[in-house]
Amino acid sequence: MSQAFVTLEEAVQADAFPDVDLALRRGRHVDRDDAAHYAFLSDAQEVLEAFYRRFGCELVHRSDGYFYLLPTSDRLGRRHLSSGEMLVGQALTLLYLDPAAVERGGLVTREQVLAQLAGVMGTAPLLKALNPKRKRVDERVAEETARGKVVEALRRLESLGFVELIEPNQVRLRASLMRFAEPVRGAAAPEAALERLVAEGELVLTDLADEDDDEDVNASHDSHADPIDDPIDDPADDAPDTADEEAP
Amino acid sequence: MSEAPVDPNQLLQSLARRGLSLELQTLDVCFLAALQLRADSGALAAFSEEQLELVFDEVCAAIAPPDEPRRSASHAIRRLREQRLLARVDGAGVVRKGQYALTRLASGIVMFFIEEETLTRESLTVLTNTLQASLANIVAAAAGLSAPDDWRTQVVTPLRVTVADLVGGIQRRQRGFDVQQEDLQREIAGLLTADWFGAVGQCQSLLDATSATLGELNHMLLHGASQLQATLQEIQELAVIANADEAELSVRHVMDQIDRIAAWGSARQSAWSEYHQYVHRFLRDVVRLDPSRVLTHRLRDLLAGRAGRPFALAVAAAPPIRLLRAVTPPAGAKPEVKRRKPAADKPIEEVAADDPQARLDADVRGAIAAGAHGLREITAKLTSAMEPRERFVAAGRIAGALARVSDPDAAAERPWVDVNDAFQIEEWKERSAE
Repeated sequence: MSQAFVTLEEAVQADAFPDVDLALRRGRHVDRDDAAHYAFLSDAQEVLEAFYRRFGCELVHRSDGYFYLLPTSDRLGRRHLSSGEMLVGQALTLLYLDPAAVERGGLVTREQVLAQLAGVMGTAPLLKALNPKRKRVDERVAEETARGKVVEALRRLESLGFVELIEPNQVRLRASLMRFAEPVRGAAAPEAALERLVAEGELVLTDLADEDDDEDVNASHDSHADPIDDPIDDPADDAPDTADEEAP
Repeated sequence: MSEAPVDPNQLLQSLARRGLSLELQTLDVCFLAALQLRADSGALAAFSEEQLELVFDEVCAAIAPPDEPRRSASHAIRRLREQRLLARVDGAGVVRKGQYALTRLASGIVMFFIEEETLTRESLTVLTNTLQASLANIVAAAAGLSAPDDWRTQVVTPLRVTVADLVGGIQRRQRGFDVQQEDLQREIAGLLTADWFGAVGQCQSLLDATSATLGELNHMLLHGASQLQATLQEIQELAVIANADEAELSVRHVMDQIDRIAAWGSARQSAWSEYHQYVHRFLRDVVRLDPSRVLTHRLRDLLAGRAGRPFALAVAAAPPIRLLRAVTPPAGAKPEVKRRKPAADKPIEEVAADDPQARLDADVRGAIAAGAHGLREITAKLTSAMEPRERFVAAGRIAGALARVSDPDAAAERPWVDVNDAFQIEEWKERSAE
C-alpha cells in the first residue's frame, strides 16, 4: 500500500515522475540500484498501476527487486529483444547466478560473457547463432562479428536497465537479469511456463525462421519504435558478403 | 625521511637503469622466513655460513618432497645476495667465512607473508594514542623554542621520524586490511561454490562481522584524526609565530598523511557497503530461493538449446517525446543573408559642378575689388602664380572675363604693354575704374 502517494496527482507531481515515466516507457527496468526511482515506484505503485493500465500496460514489480512496464496492447509501442540480446542476456543471468561473480560484487568482464556463451553453447553454435544469415563463413570474420554483436547487445541491455557498463570492458550485473530466467524458475515444466508467459505477453516464442531474421520479430510489433532502437542485426548484414562467401 | 618532492619519471628511469627485479621461488621465501624466525627467537644479529646452510637444509627437509634431489644452499644464498635480500655484514673478505644478515627488503617480504599486520580496533587504539602522546610532547617542547636548531632537533626530527613511523604503521595496517578484505570476498565466493545453500549463514556472519569492524574503525579514524589534526594545528601555529618554515612544512606533511588515513576509512566503508548490499541481496534473492541450484542448471540447458524453445522478452518501446529545444543565436556578427529584393539605391547627392568660367569671373572680380585696374594689372595679378607656358592662354580668358564683369573702355588706340615680362597685351581699362 502506498504510503507517500494517495492520489495519482501527487505521484505525477513528484520530482521523480518525469524521469521514471520516460524510462519505463522506453523499456527500462528500474531496480534497487536506481535507489531514488525504485523508492518512488514502490511508494506510487498502486496509483501508477491504474495509470499505466489506461495506456494498455502493466507496471510489473518482481520479488527480485525491480519494476518494468509490460505493454499488453499496441497503444504504447513495444518490441521484442533480438536473438543476440536474448543470448547475451541469458549468459549474463548465468553469470549473475554464479558465486564467482559474488567475489567482485557482481562485476564481470566482456570476455567472461563471451566465455560463458561459448562454454555453454559451444563455439560453432554460438557463431552460427550470431551470424544467422551467412551460409559459408570465414571463421575470423564470424568471430569478429560475434564479438561486435555481443558488445552491441550489452549496450542495448544497458539501456534497458539489465546491466550497467562501468568501463568499456566491465559490466555490472543487475537483479532485473532474472527476467531472462523466468521460464525456468517455477516448478512447472519450461514448456508450460513458456505458454503462460506468452499468454501474459511477457515474451514471444521464436523459431529458427525468426532467428534468421531478427528484424521481422521486432518490426512486427514495433510500429512506434524509435529508429535508434532497431534490433541489433544491422540491415547491412543482409547484403551479400563477398568477403567471406565463396562463389557457387 | 626526506620530504623533497620526487619526480616519478626520474625515479622510474633510475629504477629501470639499475635493472632492478625480484625473482623468488617458494623455497626462497620459506628460507627467508625461516631465517627471520630464527633471528627473532635466538636474538641473532647475523648468521654464519654454517648457520645459513643449516637453516636451508631444515627448510628443504620441511617443504621439499622426499624424492626430490637435495638443493644446494650455496646456490640459494648466492641468489638471495644478488637480489639484495641477504647482505654480508662482517667485511672480512677472504680472510675468514662471512657473517650474513637479512636486508630491510627481505624483512619486509617476510613480514608481509608471516605477520597479519592488519588494522584492528586494538592496534588502531594503541597507534592513535601513541601518536597523540608524541604530538603532545612536541607541542610542549615547541612552546618555548626560538632558535632554528632547537626547532629542528625538537620538532622537525620527531615529526619526521617518530610521528611519521607511527602514521606509516597505521597506513601499513590499512593496506593489510585491504588485502584481508580481498581474501574475505574470495572466501565468500569459495564458500558459496563449495556449499551453495549451506554457506548462507556463514557468509552472512562474515559480512556482518566485517561491516561492524569497518564501521568501528571508520568511527575511530574520524575521531582520532580530528584530535590529531587539532594538535598539529597548535604546532603549526607555534611554528608560524617563530618563523620556523621547516617545522611548518613538516607539520603540513603529517597533516596530509592524517587526512589520507581518515579518507581511507570513508572510502573503504562506502565500497564495502556496496559489496555488502550486493552479497546480501544475492544470498536472499538467489541462494535462498534456489537452494539446489536447479535454476542455474535449467537456464544452462535453455541457453544450450537442450530444453525449452527460443523466446524473446517483450519490452516497452514508446517513441520519445519530441521536445523542441530552444535555439540560441550564435554570438558574433550577424551572418550574411540573401535579400529577396535588391536594396534601394542610395539618394544622389547634388554636387555643384566646377565651372572654370565662373571661377575665373570670381577671380577677376576679386582682383578688381583688391584694387587692380586695367587689363595688364589684372592679368599680371592672376597669372603671377602660373607656369610661363600657361600665362598666354590664361591672358585671353582673363580679358574675356574682365569684359564680362566690367564695362571696358576700348579706345581706338590701345598701347601694347608687357605683362610680367613674359608677353605683351593691348592695354585697356574698365570704365568704372576711371
